[in-house]
Parts: sequence; C-alpha cells; structure tokens
Amino acid sequence: MLDTLFQASILVSIAAATVRIATPLLLAALGELVAERGGVYNMGLEGMMLMGAFTGYLAAYESGSLWVGVAAAGFTGALMAFVFAVMVITLKVEQIVTGLAVNLLGAGLSTYWLRAAFAGDGQTPTIPFFANAPIPYLSELPYVGPVLFDQKLITYLAFLMVPAVWFFLYRTRYGLILRCAGDNPKALDVKGIAVAPVQYAAVVFGGLMAGLGGAFLSVGSAARFVPEMTNGRGWLAIIIVIAGLWRPWSILVAALLFSFLDALQLQIQGIGIAIPYQLLLMMPYVAAIVALMVRRSRASAPAMLGVPYLRE
Amino acid sequence: MSEFSLAGWRLERRIEQSRFSRPIGLAVALVGAILVCSVLFVSAGANPLTAFATLAKGSFGSLRVTGETLVKATPLIFTGLAACVAFRARLWNIGAEGQVFAGAMFAFWMQHNLGGYPALVQIPIVVAGGIAGGALYAGLAAVLKTRFSVDEVISTVMLNYIIVYVLSMLLLRGPWSEAGGFFEQSARIDRGAVLPIVLAGTRLHAGFLLAIVAAVLVYFLLKRTPLGYEIKAAGSNLRALDVQGTNTRRLILVVFLVSGALAGLAGVTEVYGVQYRLKAGAIAGYGYSGIIVAILGQLHPAGVVVAAILFGALLNGAILMQITTGVPSALIYAVQAILLLFFLAGWAACNFRLRRIADA
Repeated sequence: MLDTLFQASILVSIAAATVRIATPLLLAALGELVAERGGVYNMGLEGMMLMGAFTGYLAAYESGSLWVGVAAAGFTGALMAFVFAVMVITLKVEQIVTGLAVNLLGAGLSTYWLRAAFAGDGQTPTIPFFANAPIPYLSELPYVGPVLFDQKLITYLAFLMVPAVWFFLYRTRYGLILRCAGDNPKALDVKGIAVAPVQYAAVVFGGLMAGLGGAFLSVGSAARFVPEMTNGRGWLAIIIVIAGLWRPWSILVAALLFSFLDALQLQIQGIGIAIPYQLLLMMPYVAAIVALMVRRSRASAPAMLGVPYLRE
Repeated sequence: MSEFSLAGWRLERRIEQSRFSRPIGLAVALVGAILVCSVLFVSAGANPLTAFATLAKGSFGSLRVTGETLVKATPLIFTGLAACVAFRARLWNIGAEGQVFAGAMFAFWMQHNLGGYPALVQIPIVVAGGIAGGALYAGLAAVLKTRFSVDEVISTVMLNYIIVYVLSMLLLRGPWSEAGGFFEQSARIDRGAVLPIVLAGTRLHAGFLLAIVAAVLVYFLLKRTPLGYEIKAAGSNLRALDVQGTNTRRLILVVFLVSGALAGLAGVTEVYGVQYRLKAGAIAGYGYSGIIVAILGQLHPAGVVVAAILFGALLNGAILMQITTGVPSALIYAVQAILLLFFLAGWAACNFRLRRIADA
C-alpha cells in the first residue's frame, strides 16, 4: 500500500494540496511577521482568523459575491487588530492576556452570530466557493503546472506576498522604520518618528492578513462556516514565524513544511492506511512543539518584541 | 509613545493613581460591557431588558437553579485557581483546557481499571487521579520550557489541541468507548465513584466543597508559605530570584504541577459529579473561561470564587434565556471575552488622565 503513496500522480496531488493548505497559514504568518517586526506579539491571531472566516462567509452569503466576503473578512480582521492595538499599544495591557481575550471574543461572537443568523436550521447553508484559476500555458507544464499554477487567486496572492513583504521590510524606508520599532524604538523616538502609529499600522496589517487567511478557509474552500473552524491555524502561524526565524523566505519554507504534513495525512486517510485518523490530525501540533524544541535560538527575534514602549 | 493629543486634550500617564480612579475605571468598564452586550442582544432580535431579566431568573431564581449555578461554577473555580497560581508567577499556563482533559482521563483510567469498590475507596482514587493527570500534563509544558526553552504559551496551546485527539482516539471505537454505543463517550461510570450530592433538591455535588477548600488552600499557599513568596517574587522578577540563589527551574516545575493539579480536578468534578460519563463535550471550554475568571478575580483566590460564581450564573442563566427569548446561549462566551476586554481596558485606563493642553 505504501508504494501507492509514491506514484508520480499522487506526489503531484500531495504537492498541490501542500500549496493550497499553506495559503491561510502563509497569509496569517506574514501578517504576524510584520506585527512582530514592529515589536508587538499578536496572540489574538486565532480569533482574528476565525472572525474573518465567519464574516467572510456571512457577507458572501448575504451579498452573493465571494469578493465582498473576502473584503469583509479582511476588514473584520483589521478591526479586531485595531481593538487589540488600542489595548496593548496605547493602554499597555499585557499582550498575552489581551490576545487570549481576542481569541475568546472571536470564538464566542462567531458562534453566537452564526446561531442567531441561522436559527432553527441544523445545517448552515453552503455558498459557492472560489474555483481554481489556472494560469494559461503555465498550468499545463508537467508536474509544476498543477502544483503551482492551478490554484485559487487567494493562493497566488499569499505566495506573492512573500517577496512583497520581504521587499517592504528590507528595501524600503518604511520597512526600516518598522524593524526599528521592534528592535530599538527609542532610536526611532529620538529621530522624531512616533513609535505608536508605526506599531498600529503593523498590527492592523497583521489583522487584515489573518482575516484574509480566515476567508480562505470559509469562502475559499469549505463553502460554509463551522464554529472553531480555524482549529489552531492562528497559533500555527505564530509558530511558523518563530520557526522561520522572523524572515519571510524561511517563513515560506516553514509554512510549506507544516502544510505538507497536513497534505500527507489527507492522502494517507484517502488511501486508507490503517492508522487512527486522530493520530494523523494531531501531527501538525506535535510537529510544532518539536520545531520549537529544535529552533531554540531566539537571537533573530526583534530585540524589543513584546515589550511595550514607554516614553520617558 | 504614551501621549495622545486631540482637540486641545491630551492623554498622559499618571505618576500615581488617585483614590477614585480605580473604582471609576471599573464602573465605566462594567457599563461599557453591559452596553455592548445589549447591542448583541438586539442583534439577535431580543429586548435587552427581558434578556437580562431572564438571565438573572435563570441563574438565581430558585433553589434548584441556584444550585445549578454553583454546579457550573465548580470547574471554573478550579481552572480559575489554576490560572491564578501560574499567572501570579507570570508563567502563562494557557493549558488548563488540556489539563482538565488530562485530569479527567487519568482519573477515569485509574477508576476504570479498578472495578466496583465502595465509594470510600473509589472517590479518593478518582480525586488523586485528577490531580496526578493534570499535574503530569502541565509538568510536560514546564519541562519543555526549562529544558528545551519552548515558550509555555505556545506549548500549552498545542498540548490543548493534542489531548482532544488523544481522548477521541480512546473513546471512538477505542478501549474506553461504551460497548455497543454510537456516541463518542464512555459508558456510565460505576455508582460507587459518583461524587455525592450535598444539597437536596439540586445537583450540587461534593466537588463544589472541594473547590472551596482548594481556594482556601491556594490563599494560604500564596499568603503564608515560602513557595507562595517565591511565586510572587517570580512574578515581579524571575531573574533576580535566580541570582538570589533560588532554583528557578524547580520553581517553574512546581508552579506548573500545582496549576495543572487544580485544573485536573475540574475534569474530575465535571465527569464524576455532573456527567457520570467521560466525553469531550462535557469538559471542554472550562480551561479558557478559567483564565478570564482568574483575571477578573484579580488573581486572588476569593476573587476567583466570586468571578467563577458570576460566570456560572451566566452559563446557567443563558439556558433559560435561550428558551424564552431565543437568544443563542453561545452569547455567553462572547460576553465573557467582552467583560475581560473592558475590565483590562478599565484597569489600564486608571493609569492615564485627560488634561487640557493649555493647562499643562
């Protein structure tokens, strides 16, 4: 049975699934990277993704347009991130505790509004979801085509964000200012650049990306919203940032590794190898702990990550 | 940047808090939370006044429902205390959720293999099993932190996800599933292992008394013991404690063991006091709510008990509210988070004041 796993067509389908599954992780992780580079630990990522998934679904259902859903998801993520930013940047509340509060808010509100919107129905209605958008010619390449060039538009966006975020962080003036806010906010202040607006922008961008990641789950693939459907992906995105040493390209590799595990277990379940499916489903979480045990150095973390900046 | 200015007003940090700022901050937070909840009620098409009234009636309206409120508060007292002990030391054990599972599972495993002994034998074993299971699972996170420098927030969250699948594996066509049963749950537990009812006419079980005892013990632990002193010292400066010669690795492990043991008891009292079956749905959610309970209770054991009873009332009252007004009871989880956000903001806002820039 194992040799069926190594047929070329199966390998291609695992690789294509890896790229697809990486989409929400990559979007959220890149958003988290920007926030953390600005010095703020956004532990509310899970809640922002979940609310993004929910409002994306609801807006797409009400409007009949998937893109309205995507916009609503991004907006919701950004809005929650703004609340988070007010709490941790302006009021200097503990970042971990605030993040948890945001997660619980996302879980509570999405379930509540889902039940309120579709009272009585046991099942929530499904919506059409994004079809694949194969890129002409490229998608017909053998092996590479179906893996990289026959995906959904949001997936292309997520992967294009990697060089975009890299370029922004390392090749633009604003990227330099942002990294400075995370490494040495005082220097920024001395230069006459206010730290808080920079951090606000970074956190809100992170929330927007998390919301888009959530939209990929509901509008992009599941075609419905299920309570708690993010199932820890927000946390995995935070871990991907750490395992990726706060660098965009390494984060891409880490996201692909995690999603490969997920794609592999889907395939293993599909061909019916006799392993309890729960063991397969817990793999990413175990892998996350192992990844952090291996990647022990935090030398590449922003120096003032998680420390609120107090002006003297 | 700690100063904002807008239209001639400026927000600045206070040097010292005024006597009135804290109560006022809390009152404003409470009003804010109630207003937001009212908006949520309206969003579900209900009259906020009726909704709040049924919430109160459903939680304290009679002896039976009051007992039920305390039943709901019991696991929250345990998980609240668990968070209280860890957070006092500034160790972010977010894993009470998983430790509740571990406690219930370990207790079930010991009791399940034991067979029908009298209650005097079974109940202490079940309680000990809960303590051991929760402590072991939390200890794992402590070792990951001290030996492998894995951040405890992340390891405990991952462990929360992992144990749900472990339980599912054991219960769904596994060694613990009910013979011939269709649902993902164990068979009914042995009558001799059930926690006795302590208030006639209600479902209030001995687990509630155990929770109160635990709260008193945690109070003395924090207030009167060397360990309590070390916990609080670790909370203000772990490195200073290290320099001073305390074995901080050991301290971290002990804090996690105590915190996990408390959380584990929540699993035991829920399974052996209320549900009489082991199933995931019965024990899920108490760990995360316990964190809110601990923070609203100001990380003080007495505050934890009060906040847990308030949350127990919300959970319990929501059932009547759903029946009479149609407001989904899932609202309560949103309300808990909203309360937490407003109180955090309210407390933090006490450190600020608004001043006219012209006066400054």
